[in-house]
Amino acid sequence: MFFLVFQYTVVSGGVYRTSISPPLPQQNTITGKVTDENGEAFPGVNVIVKGTSTGTVTNADGMYSLTVPAEANTLVFSFVGYFLQEVSIDGKTTINVSLLPDVKSLDEVVVTALGIEKSAKSLGYATSKIDGKELTENRSPNMMNTLQGKIAGVNISSMATGPGGTSKIRIRGQSSIGGTNSPLIVVNGVPIDNTNFGTNQGNLGTDGSVASRGGGASTDGGDAFSSFNPDDIETMTVLKGATAAALYGSRAKDGVIMITTKSKGASQGLGISYNLNYTNDKILDFTDYQYEYGQGEYGGGPAAPNPSPNPNSGQWSFGRKIEPGMTQLLFDDDVVPYVAQRGILNKFYRQGQNLTNSISIASSGERGGINFSISNLDSKGVTPNNTFSRQTINLGFVHDLSSKLSVRGNINYSHEYNKNPPVVSDQDNSIPTSLYAMANTMPLKVLDENKYNAGGGEFNYSRFTNRTNPYWVLEEVKQNIRRDRLFGNFSFKYDLTNWLSVQGRAGQDYWSRDNDYINLPTGKASINSSSIFSAAAPGFYNGVFTQESRRFRETNYDFLITAAKDFNDFAVSVNAGGNQMRRRMDVNSVQVTDFVVKDLYTVQNGRAKDPTYDLIERGVNSLYAMAEVNYKEIIYLNGTFRQDWFSTLSKEKNTIPYFSLSTSYVFTESFSSKPAWLNFGKVRVAYAEVGSDSDVSPYSNVLYYGVNGQQFLGQAVGNFGLTVPNANLTPMKVAETEVGLELKMFDSRVNVDLALYRKLTTDQIVDATISDASGFTTTKINSGKSENKGIEMMVNIVPVKTEALQWDFTFTGAYNKTKVLSLLTDTPGSNITVGQHVFNGWVQQIVGEEMGQIVGYGYLRNDEGQKIFGANGLPLRTAQPIPFGSALAKWTGGFLNSFTFKGITASFLIDFKLGGKMLSGTNFNAYRHGLHKDTLFGREGGTLDGNGNDPGFVVGEGVNEAGTENTAGAKAEDYYSVVRGAGLVEPIIYNAGYWKLRQINIGYDFTKFLPKGFPVKNVRLSFVANNVLMLKKWVPNIDPENFSYTSDNVVGLESPSVPTTRSMGFNLNVKF
Amino acid sequence: MKKKVNYIVLVLALVVVSCDNGFDELNTNQTQSISLEPALILNNAIINSSPNAVQLNYELPIVQQLTSPNTGVLEGGNFNKNNTNSSIGNWRDYYRNVIRYTTDVISRTSSDPALSNLMNKARIIQANAFMVITDTYGSIPYDQGGGGFVDQVFFPTYQTQEAVYDGIIQELKDAADALDAAKASNTDVLYNGDIAKWKKFGYSLLLRAGMRLSKVNQTKAEETVADAFAGGVILSNADNAVIRHDGNYSNATANVLNSTEAANFYLAAPFVDALKNNADPRLPVIAIRYVGATSGSGQVPGVGTYDPADQFGLPMGSTDGEADISGATLPGGGTRYAYSQLDRRRMAKPTSPLFIVTAAQNNLLLAEARFRGWINSGNAVDYFSAGIKAHMDQMVSYDPNCAVASGDRDTYSDAMVTTFAGNELQQINYEYWIASLLNGQEAWANFRRSGFPQLAVNPFPGKAVDFILRLPYPPNEILVNTANVQAAIDEQGPDELDTRVWWDVEP
Repeated sequence: MFFLVFQYTVVSGGVYRTSISPPLPQQNTITGKVTDENGEAFPGVNVIVKGTSTGTVTNADGMYSLTVPAEANTLVFSFVGYFLQEVSIDGKTTINVSLLPDVKSLDEVVVTALGIEKSAKSLGYATSKIDGKELTENRSPNMMNTLQGKIAGVNISSMATGPGGTSKIRIRGQSSIGGTNSPLIVVNGVPIDNTNFGTNQGNLGTDGSVASRGGGASTDGGDAFSSFNPDDIETMTVLKGATAAALYGSRAKDGVIMITTKSKGASQGLGISYNLNYTNDKILDFTDYQYEYGQGEYGGGPAAPNPSPNPNSGQWSFGRKIEPGMTQLLFDDDVVPYVAQRGILNKFYRQGQNLTNSISIASSGERGGINFSISNLDSKGVTPNNTFSRQTINLGFVHDLSSKLSVRGNINYSHEYNKNPPVVSDQDNSIPTSLYAMANTMPLKVLDENKYNAGGGEFNYSRFTNRTNPYWVLEEVKQNIRRDRLFGNFSFKYDLTNWLSVQGRAGQDYWSRDNDYINLPTGKASINSSSIFSAAAPGFYNGVFTQESRRFRETNYDFLITAAKDFNDFAVSVNAGGNQMRRRMDVNSVQVTDFVVKDLYTVQNGRAKDPTYDLIERGVNSLYAMAEVNYKEIIYLNGTFRQDWFSTLSKEKNTIPYFSLSTSYVFTESFSSKPAWLNFGKVRVAYAEVGSDSDVSPYSNVLYYGVNGQQFLGQAVGNFGLTVPNANLTPMKVAETEVGLELKMFDSRVNVDLALYRKLTTDQIVDATISDASGFTTTKINSGKSENKGIEMMVNIVPVKTEALQWDFTFTGAYNKTKVLSLLTDTPGSNITVGQHVFNGWVQQIVGEEMGQIVGYGYLRNDEGQKIFGANGLPLRTAQPIPFGSALAKWTGGFLNSFTFKGITASFLIDFKLGGKMLSGTNFNAYRHGLHKDTLFGREGGTLDGNGNDPGFVVGEGVNEAGTENTAGAKAEDYYSVVRGAGLVEPIIYNAGYWKLRQINIGYDFTKFLPKGFPVKNVRLSFVANNVLMLKKWVPNIDPENFSYTSDNVVGLESPSVPTTRSMGFNLNVKF
Repeated sequence: MKKKVNYIVLVLALVVVSCDNGFDELNTNQTQSISLEPALILNNAIINSSPNAVQLNYELPIVQQLTSPNTGVLEGGNFNKNNTNSSIGNWRDYYRNVIRYTTDVISRTSSDPALSNLMNKARIIQANAFMVITDTYGSIPYDQGGGGFVDQVFFPTYQTQEAVYDGIIQELKDAADALDAAKASNTDVLYNGDIAKWKKFGYSLLLRAGMRLSKVNQTKAEETVADAFAGGVILSNADNAVIRHDGNYSNATANVLNSTEAANFYLAAPFVDALKNNADPRLPVIAIRYVGATSGSGQVPGVGTYDPADQFGLPMGSTDGEADISGATLPGGGTRYAYSQLDRRRMAKPTSPLFIVTAAQNNLLLAEARFRGWINSGNAVDYFSAGIKAHMDQMVSYDPNCAVASGDRDTYSDAMVTTFAGNELQQINYEYWIASLLNGQEAWANFRRSGFPQLAVNPFPGKAVDFILRLPYPPNEILVNTANVQAAIDEQGPDELDTRVWWDVEP
């Protein structure tokens, strides 16, 4: 560092001329005026002599007068939110200065863990702050999805299930081998519940997501974010690394999203604000199917030559070659043209609409303020029977009760009603699956007209009766989810002295959620064949209905003692506190089957009843402390300590202490001089450890026995679970090291924020799949070890900055790679299976490989790489499932360009996710059902059957088992069905990456057109578009984001779900 | 000042501590128990011993009794192909739902002599499960099987089928011998605690295990059969080991036949033809044909016929398209939906019983044992006739309308007896085949053992093998228990559909 200083002195010696200035008097008085960017007087600006504590503040007219010692040579002018300015005294007695505002303020205040506010430059770790406006103006159907591509290192996956759907958020990648990776959600300093009711079929691990009770299809039941009115959010801070989150302890091992809601008006006095937001969602159809051969199988059409009143092939497109004038006989003597039906997704799905109205009333005064808001959201989903509505009331306040005692609090109430959330990621009863695999000459109109057979039940249209008629599903499969949620907290803070305060806080998150679900309606052509849901007993109507009610409560009590004192050049602050967290969930559920009265869905009407009750409780007690020392606000040193006690672990092993250390060095402050182009520079280094029990469910340390709900032959039947309990589990541990660099250059027109991290997660609590022959399927063990390594960068450049036009360019990008270092053993190749696709295909963690490997059978190949075919002409598969690569995206990020031109603001965002693989279930069906374009090869040239139908003849390119060229062929349908029959999934493994034009926003501020004295103070209108354009993708027929799983255990295993949507709309904000 | 601070800290600390009451109890499950009467767990194992629905995909089509023209999920025995989702069924269901539970019962009762009957019942139920698993796959984890919790063995080693059979035979013998009617017996869902019946069940399984070895080790077979016979086996339908399903614990096979796949399974032509040729009075109670049906919803009782002359089984190897065409040649027309089905409204209701061991099967096995000279009392032909009659009489337990008239029964039995001499093994095992309808695991094992009935090779062109002789190990075993399963494959032969299990010596 000395070397650098020396260098600067040499380079800029001529400018500063300190050594050649004439002798000065002992004391000197300097006066002047400080103005702001508009030339107005600037009161309250700090003026100090550089390197000393001598200073003053400008008065109401912006004037100052300061007596400086003779050796002083520089004055520093500073004000929060403005660029700091240094001026050489150089013998002058009058120094006038104009300060310029710094949009990205150097002295930005960041809300850190436990709600403690800190100056951004003191932080030794990376955080990202999002202004509430980001969430309100650019609304996408699901609140969090608005942020995709905008925060370095934060990967948000969109579900297409609308405002009631779930968001999957991953910060710095995935580290948990089989458990949860979701960040902790904290509102105003206190954690809230983020139980996820997304669908996660085939999830073999434990990640806390809650599935609907069995039977029927899975729907996306939403998560915590749907309770929020984005208009209430003032700021959102993302704590990315373990260091940032260390004070939150166990639950923050995957980062924290801290939401601060509004608690007082932005300006003095009364402020009323009205916000109207409307968006329209239109589905995006990426199918690129073949339309040369139509509905049917083995070359035969559904109606010829032997008429059949049912289109039994309904979901197969291995039929006749489509020629003009051909007809098909569908359902009861319905003769319709045998022509390609293109664009059925757009015909079936409607345009979604979301309308949000919110009003907030706020006031602010000397002793505090209040913010009250109400809002209403009405949403029509793209699935024609899906609606979502939400009403929220939010009250926030801060008040100084006395000069020493202050209180602050917030209460949020929401009522949500999600009606018929879309069925996703399922094969049966699933609209998306039926539509995406629909025979390509099946007219939707005919399906709509033939929902019901003569008996009033579902009219089969396919021999594959599980693929229900989507119109019948719309009419008959119903689900109502109602959630009432009340969360908030109160805190009292008492200043004992000017350096010591204590704070007590109590927070609660309570929700009740009623879910009634007609899992399987009466009259369904095929009902679930599992042994639980049988056909109705004689005299009853088949069907399954479930009514479930959940009550959840999480309470957090904490206290915090804060001491802060300056000692000469050193400032010290110490916090110490404790937290007690308890959660309890009660679940009452009754599932009934067989109905006395048809179509009456009540639990009374069901013949067989299966009532259950579950009670889940857990708690964590914690003590923690934090200390910060800084030297002249140049070097900051931060340390934290926390100890947690977990209720879920055995008493002897239930506690773990951990600590973090971080330092921040604002090197630009330590030079007496620095290059003019460098406004600010800071390096940071941090190390932290966090322990967690998050993947241990309560009661998993002992084998518990249960009694079946139903007796058999009058006798009781007992049971116990398939997981081997483990009483020896200890908390898992995360150790993360991070270094970072922040630079602001050229008048803050070039800003860089870089972070490098390495995160080691050890003693992971792994749900290890064990041999079925052990009698059990899984056991929990402390064994997994994984390593995340990554880089995050944010580069902000302002290439144009004139009075008329400003162009702001921001790139955020992150690279993360997670490697599995050990599982049960650290032998490379050893593995565990954490997720399973509907049919063939798994997600495995494999030692030595990247996390989240997609595994399945591939083509058997010889040494030259040629495919090997059997005597029957079908390709042979590898002896064992092989890994095809990690499903996790390694590169994520986006490019944001914003322009301000004469009151118009415009921005667009391009984002990307690259480097992951996927197994596409939609393409799996398209393959075996003959819709995929690849299946056009070999449709003709087979042995004609008795009716002259040509089943096709596919001779695969490769060799036979003897090693000579393959000449054996198979019928086309048989050939392309190997993805199913033989589980040979290699043809449906794709690169899951994409580039998208994610967002466009154009806004105009109409305020200047308002007449003087008009009650409206401010009017702003913006037009927004989300998920605008696919720029590049690799998987055919679907949007690679078309996932509806929220679990990492089934990451990369795609199954048909609601198509993604493009949403367009406007936001109107009026302030009174 | 300092005092004030101390005071506040103390209060806060007290708040935290006082709220801590009950922290250690939080992790106590309030809706379940850490102990439970083992008899209730045994009940669960017994219910799960009922033949599973996988038999529709594999065992029943392999022995050509039922088959499906459908590809996809229903592929398997109908096309002589591997279909992983189904071929794992016996492994998964019996290890998870029978061996897991019985291991628990045995471990919790073994040290208490007062509970010996309960333990021995569990050993018998467990031996049956191991027999099903080894007959399906060959070498399997036996000594270490089911020990996930009790022994903390997560990746059990495999044993040869020979060793497994040694173990099963010893277990069955020991358990049946040790059952003691003089001792306390918990009630159970199989025999309501009747120890005499349990003993017969144990010896019946021993008889079955002994006969299984007829090709591979006649000495051991004879010795085992003699032991079983001496112990006393089930010879009356009243003693049958049967799971009487109800609406809550329904018949999994029947559920499939009544729901998703109602229109997708048909009686196979070889089975229908055989019964037709022999004027078997069981045909009209087993079969129904929906004349002219062209869709699943057309399969209504109104068009159904029970007329044996009007029954047509679906030819083996039919695929959907081909069956559609040949259906047109049936009387009354129709498509493949018009072929004869197992009557799901009588024989296979969700509440229909499923049999594990029957008097019919035992009589037929004794007929063979007597014919071979392995037992010394009774006449082979009498056992044969009793076996036929027992199965005819058993039919009524499916449904009152399934009753076979005693006159028809005797006529048939008498006719079969006339051709018995000289065709003993063929006729006994042909009848065993029929008597094991819907007990697919046993039908398949006995077909492999005896070679009867003589079935034609499935003509399906895309078949992987001529006959399925075993099922491949589950992918999960290959994934997680790799070394152990590989050692078993190295010893036993390729993990294929046509690798013979140990007792299935090539004739």
